[in-house]
Amino acid sequence: MFVLEGIWIALQQVWAHKLKSAFTLVGVIIGITFLIAVITVVEGMNRYVQEDFAGSLFGVNTFTVVRRSRISTGAETEERRREQARNPDLTLHDVEVVRRAVPDAWRFAYSSDRGFDEVSYRDRRRRNIRLIGASEGYEALQGWEVNRGRGLTPLDERRGLKVAVIGAEIEEKLFPGLDPIGKEIRIGSQRFEVVGVWDKQGGLFGNIRDASILLPYSVYRQTFARDPSDVDQISVKMRSLEEMNAAQIAVEGALRSDRGLRPGEENSFWIETSSELLDTWDKIVKVLFAAIPGLVSISLVVGGIVIMNIMLLSVAGRVREIGIRKAVGARRRDILIQFLAESSTLSIVGASIGILLGIGIGKGVEAFTPMPASVPPWGIALALTLGVLVGVGSGLYPAYRAAKQDPIVALRSE
Amino acid sequence: MNGEERMQTSAREVIIETRGLTKLYQMGAETIHALAGVDMQIRRNEYIAIMGPSGSGKSTLMNLIGCLDTPTDGEYILNGTPVQGLDDDELARIRNREIGFVFQTFNLLPRASALHNVELPLIYAGIPAKQRQEKARSALARVDLADRTHHKPNELSGGQRQRVAIARALVNDPSILLADEPTGNLDSKTSYEIMNVFEELHGSGQTIIMVTHEHDISEHAERVVTLRDGLIESHDAKADGLMAGV
Repeated sequence: MFVLEGIWIALQQVWAHKLKSAFTLVGVIIGITFLIAVITVVEGMNRYVQEDFAGSLFGVNTFTVVRRSRISTGAETEERRREQARNPDLTLHDVEVVRRAVPDAWRFAYSSDRGFDEVSYRDRRRRNIRLIGASEGYEALQGWEVNRGRGLTPLDERRGLKVAVIGAEIEEKLFPGLDPIGKEIRIGSQRFEVVGVWDKQGGLFGNIRDASILLPYSVYRQTFARDPSDVDQISVKMRSLEEMNAAQIAVEGALRSDRGLRPGEENSFWIETSSELLDTWDKIVKVLFAAIPGLVSISLVVGGIVIMNIMLLSVAGRVREIGIRKAVGARRRDILIQFLAESSTLSIVGASIGILLGIGIGKGVEAFTPMPASVPPWGIALALTLGVLVGVGSGLYPAYRAAKQDPIVALRSE
Repeated sequence: MNGEERMQTSAREVIIETRGLTKLYQMGAETIHALAGVDMQIRRNEYIAIMGPSGSGKSTLMNLIGCLDTPTDGEYILNGTPVQGLDDDELARIRNREIGFVFQTFNLLPRASALHNVELPLIYAGIPAKQRQEKARSALARVDLADRTHHKPNELSGGQRQRVAIARALVNDPSILLADEPTGNLDSKTSYEIMNVFEELHGSGQTIIMVTHEHDISEHAERVVTLRDGLIESHDAKADGLMAGV
């Protein structure tokens, strides 16, 4: 009953003194806004990375053999890094070793790639592109689909045809309003016929594909390869995670025995999977989530102190009211509960505003980036719980002061 | 209720009895005997005025009778219950059930409507909302304020405020109505109005104890108890032999 009373009084006060309340609650509002915004963005990014990004970079159930790790997890030691730097380049021989190790691979491809300055069609140019020379099957393994024209075929590879499949951004830049299929583009001193264009991938990390040009592997090797390595990566895609794990072990074993590594010796190659990337992401998320409590609790403590002050003022200004309530039969705990309800309501109002603002920030991020804003129910539950805790915590001392008022003294006060 | 019935109920039951009621205050090194041993009896449906100059102990007696304070020594039996030595929460319960306060300064909650002010004791009695509102409305009707239920105190005149306070005092059907200078802040016409309300209540069986320093107000009571220096100086029974033994 007095809980309702306390809630009602608090709401009336917030409503009657909007500006004062805004200042009172600013600490709680900021803390909860920050909490919800970070949770929203991190959860959204989490979903994005797991559902879109990792899949598009590496593909599902796919692993890739490379010379050395390309993703820094921040965990490996300097020594480990130097060791990896001594790994030999991958060669076409390694390609054959891997191919024989996984005869039941669903997709299998190898490729090399490099950044390149410029591609042009007549007087139109696109700078900073990525050239990929890949074996047949690369596009299927990556899940890249042509929007117009065709992808590369084994025939292109065998005959060494100077054909290219281009990304959507390159098409937009070189062929505005034109059909690129059959046109000749110039890459360095060489001319290539465009045979296909991929779907636009878009998105935060999407330009990897959209700004790429794919050439038959043999043509790329002859014309553009500049590092001594024959092959930059060998990718294997299986039909399920279990198959992929088994295949990964088989490939690891095959490469080790081919290279004559002794038991206990480190691999002289590196196997990347999307789970490795996700592990790295998980670590980033953990760091972010570890940083939240500190930052949030600082503003909540400040917010709580402000609420405590306001409650002390409120109690001091309502001593007579407390006296009246006691005279008509309020017990200590009735008064205590009333003021705790009041401070909690204040704090929850602040937390609710914070939740709305935090969701707003999340929606803003969603509007301007490809990341989905995802507010998990547990985030809102956490924010409201914190609101109650701050309210009760900051109200405890003022409410105790109110509850122990002597009714005679209180009734006489002005 | 006619006079005969009133006589019958009032002559019987002792509702308040004090024996050697004493209250000491420590003022620095000095001990002040606010009450130095008061023996009194008040029966149901009595209408009593407590008088005395300031410092005579009438406020202290009022606080003790109202269970706002506990005596240093002596006994206080309210409606059969020994009150001395009860703790804060038990005293709160007794104030809630047995006592209706009317104060000089009205002591209404300024931000609450008349209805809510009157509901207050019922809230602490744990009575459900619907019943509470019914009782509060009928208490306001008893003091002729049925049309002012949603007015705030600052929208009411002094006399109306005091009537809201009386409605609040009555709403829980207390054993005693305890009024502390109930007309002290009112002009004489309004005072007269309030005294009429008291008389009506008394007529319908309510026990009333009123502290006042105004003789013309104390005239309304059946019996006047005068305090001096923390002791009862005199019982003056004006009416027909209602005086209780000392």
